[in-house]
Amino acid sequence: MLVDLAGGWNPMLGRLAWSQIPYDNPILAPLFVAVVIGTIIILGLITYYGKWTYLWKEWLTTVDHKKLGVMYIILGLVMLFRGFIDGLMIRTQQAWAVGTHSSGVFGATHGYLTPFHFGQVYSAHGLIMILLAATPLLVGFMNIIVPIQIGARDMAYPYLNALGLWITAAAGALIMISLFVGDFAHNGWFGYAPIFELQYSPGVGVDYWIWTMELVALGTTLGGINILATIIKMRAPGMSWGRLPIFVWASLSANVIALTSFPALQVALGLVAADRYLGAHFFTAGLGGNLMLYTNLFWIWGHPEVYFVILPAFGMMSEIFPTFSEKPLFGYITMVLASLAIAGVSWLVWLHHFFTMGAGPYVNSAFSVATMLVGIPTGVKVFNWAFTMYRGRLTFNAAMLWAIGALFLLLIGGLTGMMLAVPAINYMVHNSVFVVAHFHSMLLVIVYAIFASVIYWFPKVFGFKLDEFWAKTMFWLFSAGTTLVFVPMYMLGFMGMTRRLDYVFNTAWHPYLLVMEFGIVVYMISVLAFFALLYVSIRDHAKNRVGTDAWGTSRSLEWLTHSPVPFYNFAVLPHISTRDEVAWRRDNGIDHVQPDHYEDIHMPNNTGVAIILGGLTFVLGFALVWRIWWLCILSLLAIMALVIYRSFKGDPGYIITAAELEEMEKDAMRREAQIGKQHYRVGGGVLGDAIAYERSDLPPLASQPGSSVGLDHRS
Amino acid sequence: MSHGHDDPTLHPEVQISTSRGYFLGFAISSILMLVATFLVTSHAVPPFGLLMVISACAGIAIMAQIYFLLHIDISEHNIWNTVALVLFIPLFLITIGLTWWMFSQLYLHTMIMPGMPGMMH
Ligand code: HEM
Ligand SMILES: [Cu+2]
Repeated sequence: MLVDLAGGWNPMLGRLAWSQIPYDNPILAPLFVAVVIGTIIILGLITYYGKWTYLWKEWLTTVDHKKLGVMYIILGLVMLFRGFIDGLMIRTQQAWAVGTHSSGVFGATHGYLTPFHFGQVYSAHGLIMILLAATPLLVGFMNIIVPIQIGARDMAYPYLNALGLWITAAAGALIMISLFVGDFAHNGWFGYAPIFELQYSPGVGVDYWIWTMELVALGTTLGGINILATIIKMRAPGMSWGRLPIFVWASLSANVIALTSFPALQVALGLVAADRYLGAHFFTAGLGGNLMLYTNLFWIWGHPEVYFVILPAFGMMSEIFPTFSEKPLFGYITMVLASLAIAGVSWLVWLHHFFTMGAGPYVNSAFSVATMLVGIPTGVKVFNWAFTMYRGRLTFNAAMLWAIGALFLLLIGGLTGMMLAVPAINYMVHNSVFVVAHFHSMLLVIVYAIFASVIYWFPKVFGFKLDEFWAKTMFWLFSAGTTLVFVPMYMLGFMGMTRRLDYVFNTAWHPYLLVMEFGIVVYMISVLAFFALLYVSIRDHAKNRVGTDAWGTSRSLEWLTHSPVPFYNFAVLPHISTRDEVAWRRDNGIDHVQPDHYEDIHMPNNTGVAIILGGLTFVLGFALVWRIWWLCILSLLAIMALVIYRSFKGDPGYIITAAELEEMEKDAMRREAQIGKQHYRVGGGVLGDAIAYERSDLPPLASQPGSSVGLDHRS
Repeated sequence: MSHGHDDPTLHPEVQISTSRGYFLGFAISSILMLVATFLVTSHAVPPFGLLMVISACAGIAIMAQIYFLLHIDISEHNIWNTVALVLFIPLFLITIGLTWWMFSQLYLHTMIMPGMPGMMH
């Protein structure tokens, strides 16, 4: 052993011992029982209905970008729920443990969580929400939508795509298991030197934190490479850069950020690991180390990361506003430039997270100015959205409501960000809950955009719409929760309440904390509304089926193919003639034109390698946390062997013949034709056709490459 | 789709890679790493010299990796490699340069370091 470990170590089990299982913890033990029972029920149900083969064949081994995207989103939603429960626990502790007279239970002097446990909860909350909820949700959407929007059949590297998902899932599993085996870090989601050094945090919590983050970073980098390569190489004929849907541009700029910044995180954490495992001194005060160097390295990644998550959200909003304003996006070029500018500036501002380090006036003012520069492209975007809606034919359905909510939160978050960017103000409010309120406003922009997109793209992926009533109910409840939690938080920030308090000494803050507790209860109800939304929508799915263009006013390429999207995406790759291809085709009455003949398609095979590699990375992470060296070496060797094996084996793929394709297409069209009839009976025929046939002055339809009017399935 | 064939090993980016190149790149970076580690642990060189030597080692290792492992060059075939370089070099300068600047300013304000004006007092 290179370092001294508190509490034994043995070659077989490393640091693992019975005493590490918190079976006597009054919160965790019942939870553990519930989780075990839940798992048994789920596994039992799968076995009972004989779904194992289906699950393995259709989902666990799939390389289909849409299914992988759906699994990313499910992972993200599950982690969002876990993070939400953490948030509920934090709020409850702070509403309870106020003032010297507050009671305490479960071994805590005040409230119900001991300081050490509270520290773990807030660290896990932050890490989960940013890296295991927001990031997978966004990656999931990029995964599903980007290839369809550029007219590709799959990602550039389908197998790598699966690998990215399963490594991310391994990270999620690692942080979940830290609940029941050992404990989690108490050093905040971004960590502080030197408290995460072994002397000050001798447990395994920090190790869980390191390896969870390393795994997400790895998974997300792989995903980023894939999306970039897909956008660069796989565009359909005619899809020039100037015609790319705006969400694709947003994904492109976001993933450039991911690709360049995640390595910095991996290095930073690698050095922390060197300190903790090898006895190095990168971030200690002694032997030439430097504490602030950690903070520096972390935020070199950390700030770009916040833009990595907001840019796809901006992209989503840029798709939703035009659709429900029935107008093209205002200022396409400026929107693209703004995305790239935001990505560019995001590398230049990281010091604003530690203005108080004391680098002096020159450094602080330079970074202050750089930070404020971000306001320009962001402002451009906000005005573009506003002008898109200006004099548009607005439909305030649930997706639109969520998107507008995101816009309001962006305004609040952006302006408070500008305030924080002024060093003089920052010295006053740094490490106060004002900062917490700022970045929650920003991250809620993402959450709002994600729920907007869930509603907006759900019919594309599953073929039916979500229930409007419950989607709107959820929106209003969620927004009430947001207001009730974060308005008091801004106020408390100005009153000087610092972040991460496990005990609140100032009783004057109690009313605000109680309002926030009430707010989180309202959030809880909105989560229930979400479950109701899913239940009702799935129950009524037959009523809510949609055709190709679910909203009737959609603009970009994903709405050209069937809903649900067939696994090959497009039977014949579309030729792109303009930006907003679908809107153009609809306006010219050629949106239902079908190809006159089909050709063979080459598709990738499913593979079990990716999920096995994911499992092995989880084992590796677990072994590293507990310092079970033999298991580390074994899993690492297995990973290498499997990667090499797969690289040499390759994947020849398989062929869908033209005849099979035609059969499947006919089926899809038959299904769609039925929906069409239902739809027009119910909807009174306002959608689609009225707009589609307006222009009779256009060239005959047969000029469209590879298509003829004869097969129009609507007629 | 500028290369109209399905065999990925025929792509020019893949063609320029050889196993000799990979081993050479791996060997060079490992040796440089070992040298740097040895110099640090043995305290053979005074601090400032050590800093210089390690930085030089790191610089050479980066070059070797870019050339031998990533095959990034500025040839016509690999235009996207050039794009990657155009992105990488400014970022490299930004992260290293700004870090250097902010920490030298920090030391100026908080620490008395050998060789800095603070020593005079
Ligand atoms: C208009 C653009 C923005 C500006 C000017 C800005 C400014 C700042 C500043 C100065 C801080 C440091 C506060 C402190 O610790 O004293 C900060 C913190 C933070 N911001 Fe922003 N921000 C902006 C946009 C965003 C976005 C888009 C996100 C994420 C989606 C975000 C997420 C965060 C997070 C997570 C933190 C705090 C991290 C932590 O301390 O745990 N910000 N912001
Ligand atoms: Cu920042």
